[in-house]
Amino acid sequence: MTALLETPPEAPAARARSLPLWANPRLGLLVLLVVLVVLFTALRPSFLDVDFTLVPMQADISVYVVVGLAQLAVLSLGHMNMAVGRMAAMSAFAMGLAYQELGTPLVVDVLIGLAVGAGLGALAGLVISRTGVNSFVVTLALDFALVGLVSLLYAKATDGVSFGAQPGGMAALRTDTFADYCAGNVCGPPVPLIVPIAVVAALLVGLLFRWSRTGREILMTGASVKAAELSGIPVGRRVVQAHALSGLLSGLAGFLLAVNNGAFSAGIGDAFLLPSFLAPVLGGTLLVGGAVSVLGTFLGATITQVIYKGLNLLQFQVDQLKLYIGLVLIVALSLDRVRHVLAERRGARA
Amino acid sequence: MILSASGLVKTFPGVRALDGASLSLAAGSVHALLGENGAGKSTLVKILTGVYRPDGGTIELDGKPVHFTGPLDALRAGIGVVHQERNLVTEFSVAENIVLHHLPRRFGVVRRSRVRDEARRCLDLLDLDLDPDAPVSTLSVAQAQLVEIAKALSVDNRVLLLDEPTASLTGDEADRLYAIVRKLTGSGHAVVLVSHKLEEVFAVADTVTVLRDGRSVAEGQPLSAYTRDEVVDLMVGRAHAAVSLAARTPLSSDAAALSLTDVATSYGHADVSFDVAPGEIYGLYGLVGAGRTELAKALLGLGSVTAGTVSVHGTPVRISGVGEALRRHRIGYVTENRKEEGLFLEQPITRNIGVTVWHRLTRLGLIRDRAEASLVDDYRQRLGIRLATPKQLAGQLSGGNQQKVSLAKWLAADCGILIVDEPTVGIDVRTKAAFHELIAGLAGQGMAILLISSDLPEIVTLADRIGVMAGFRLRGELPNDGDYERMSQSIIRLIHTPLIPAAPH
Ligand SMILES: Nc1ncnc2c1ncn2[C@@H]1O[C@H](COP(=O)(O)OP(=O)(O)OP(=O)(O)O)[C@@H](O)[C@H]1O
Ligand SMILES: [Mg+2]
Repeated sequence: MTALLETPPEAPAARARSLPLWANPRLGLLVLLVVLVVLFTALRPSFLDVDFTLVPMQADISVYVVVGLAQLAVLSLGHMNMAVGRMAAMSAFAMGLAYQELGTPLVVDVLIGLAVGAGLGALAGLVISRTGVNSFVVTLALDFALVGLVSLLYAKATDGVSFGAQPGGMAALRTDTFADYCAGNVCGPPVPLIVPIAVVAALLVGLLFRWSRTGREILMTGASVKAAELSGIPVGRRVVQAHALSGLLSGLAGFLLAVNNGAFSAGIGDAFLLPSFLAPVLGGTLLVGGAVSVLGTFLGATITQVIYKGLNLLQFQVDQLKLYIGLVLIVALSLDRVRHVLAERRGARA
Repeated sequence: MILSASGLVKTFPGVRALDGASLSLAAGSVHALLGENGAGKSTLVKILTGVYRPDGGTIELDGKPVHFTGPLDALRAGIGVVHQERNLVTEFSVAENIVLHHLPRRFGVVRRSRVRDEARRCLDLLDLDLDPDAPVSTLSVAQAQLVEIAKALSVDNRVLLLDEPTASLTGDEADRLYAIVRKLTGSGHAVVLVSHKLEEVFAVADTVTVLRDGRSVAEGQPLSAYTRDEVVDLMVGRAHAAVSLAARTPLSSDAAALSLTDVATSYGHADVSFDVAPGEIYGLYGLVGAGRTELAKALLGLGSVTAGTVSVHGTPVRISGVGEALRRHRIGYVTENRKEEGLFLEQPITRNIGVTVWHRLTRLGLIRDRAEASLVDDYRQRLGIRLATPKQLAGQLSGGNQQKVSLAKWLAADCGILIVDEPTVGIDVRTKAAFHELIAGLAGQGMAILLISSDLPEIVTLADRIGVMAGFRLRGELPNDGDYERMSQSIIRLIHTPLIPAAPH
């Protein structure tokens, strides 16, 4: 290829520099995480107790990472999914029902449940893209409808609260860690079996948004619907796909919580909504769409759980707990802002 | 000197936009501010109007140093401006936008009728037939530009800075603006004019400052001391080679790539018929509001074709969107509205260019960043896109460089038919020539090109045939003989001949 301009204007590359390392928001979160762990350990050495704290905390983190990813999937568009909790509940119900009625193995039950979650998400996406009604309104209405449906269904199919029998393998997923599996006298680390599920989910979502065409086009749609449409992106389809992904991940989170609780029950997902926003937003995902951070979501979920566990160990009351978590988050978010502004200023002076 | 600035420095992350620029402005004169894309013209304008604060240098108003704390501060000091990028509040009406900074109020309540009267007066100055109550979001790019000018004229400012005010206007509208400018300078006002349309600049400006890489290389000299070529040499920094387009023989071909027969649209077009052959450049000219952009949008399914047939390579089609146009028919569309439709301002340049071609850059379903980077680098060189790093956000580029990015993604898309709508708005002289060569080259390889442009010299330079549109109808079609004077006269005549009602069949 020939350059038509005899000499292209030199880009002032030598003068170009990116923002300093300390301005990376993910690094800030990592530092915060380390500080919190040190702090809690100093106050309560039992914070590092493997069986008492670390193993259950990893299981919880796994759930809330996936919950965060479920919200992240639509934040990418600048949308919201107010029904993450109920989509999780419906998925979990489908899993329990599949086992109860068909007796199928765990993997099949889970796939059926995930399909239900994805289907609900796709439905929300379809309504949003067809009618142009705000995602907040559509998913809130869906959530409202599903609240009723979930309790009706559980009342019909079970004792009203949870399924009596769980598929084989669920118990092992809950109680075992890799430390229980040994080859000779080499045993695995004390990591619950569900952790890899969350990790793989996070990696796949990261891969999707970073390197796949579908994921990138979803982000571009989030950045500007008009420009996306005029760049040939099938905007409607991308909206449906992002919401379907959100539903699927909600379902996965529902499954992980069911594993931790030991049963598919009606209460699954009740506490998902706030954490679903906290993890990605704390991790630097924008509410306006166009940019997501999977690593940030992972760190955000971890920090939230660490604070929760730590304050719990310090015997805070539930209400106090919420208050402090709220305060810590506000401080973290403002620090993030301050750091960003400082970095820009410094960059601008260079 | 009413206004003078010296030694201005302004640095953005990775770029020194101004590096000791100076400018001085005398009362009663039109001062041209010239330079290539990214030279720092808009940055200078923004500093003089309080949008940015300089990192160094001084500004003096009537000989006294001033430090503007914000845009309103500068406005109060009597400095009006039309920025390169539109700044209208799209939800507000035309009238509200025009009087935004001095809404007529009584007891804190906005007086609607006064707002409308005041707006009418400003619109009349420009001979602009717009509904003052229409929301700005319904305006075309050119109409929005005119409203922006009306807004600047609504206050009697001693100094008026115009940053590419005529970029999306045709000669007629520009002439009207310049008539007002002359009236203003006649009564002692001072005007700064930034423009890449050198013909206009030479016609209206008295003195000139040329910026190169953020420095003033010519400062305040009378423009008459230079020839057009000398000015371009100053902008470029050395003698530039004049580019002349190689003669092109349109491929003779029976099947038109794109053909319209008696097309009517939801926008109100009627009886539009023309066709574009492979290897041909078909120019579509018309005044602001003639319906050219709308026609393109209807063809692509963004509006709808309500009667008649659109055929692509002989097959009648009904296209439902740009995605379908691109993937099924290999039709590309470069929008005239780069800010809202052409660019993802908050996304990196790489993604802005890669977006139309990602499907070609994947391996195992994943996009190869390396391939994307080399594609971007290729177009950076071809179009001379001046950037700090390819990861820079598109919104941080200078206006002209943004336009190049918006073009690049469609040049990369490998289309058989390309509709380009005002492709060289805001692009500097040298790049414009390079772009013309590029477009001619693409046509030479068999691409069919529909060129919508308000830039008559551009159409006469490039087009094989010229369709003239007015009032959402095609008024006629002329073979282009390349003679600018003759062509422009025939075109003007076509635009102004009244429509003969079609005979009933
Ligand atoms: N907000 C910003 N952030 C980062 N860089 C910027 C910003 N605004 C301008 N620049 C850079 O400063 C330089 C000068 O830009 P400026 O807009 O002043 O150019 P210009 O002379 O007006 O060009 P054009 O003819 O294309 O409008 C460019 O390299 C541009 O990328
Ligand atoms: Mg500019």
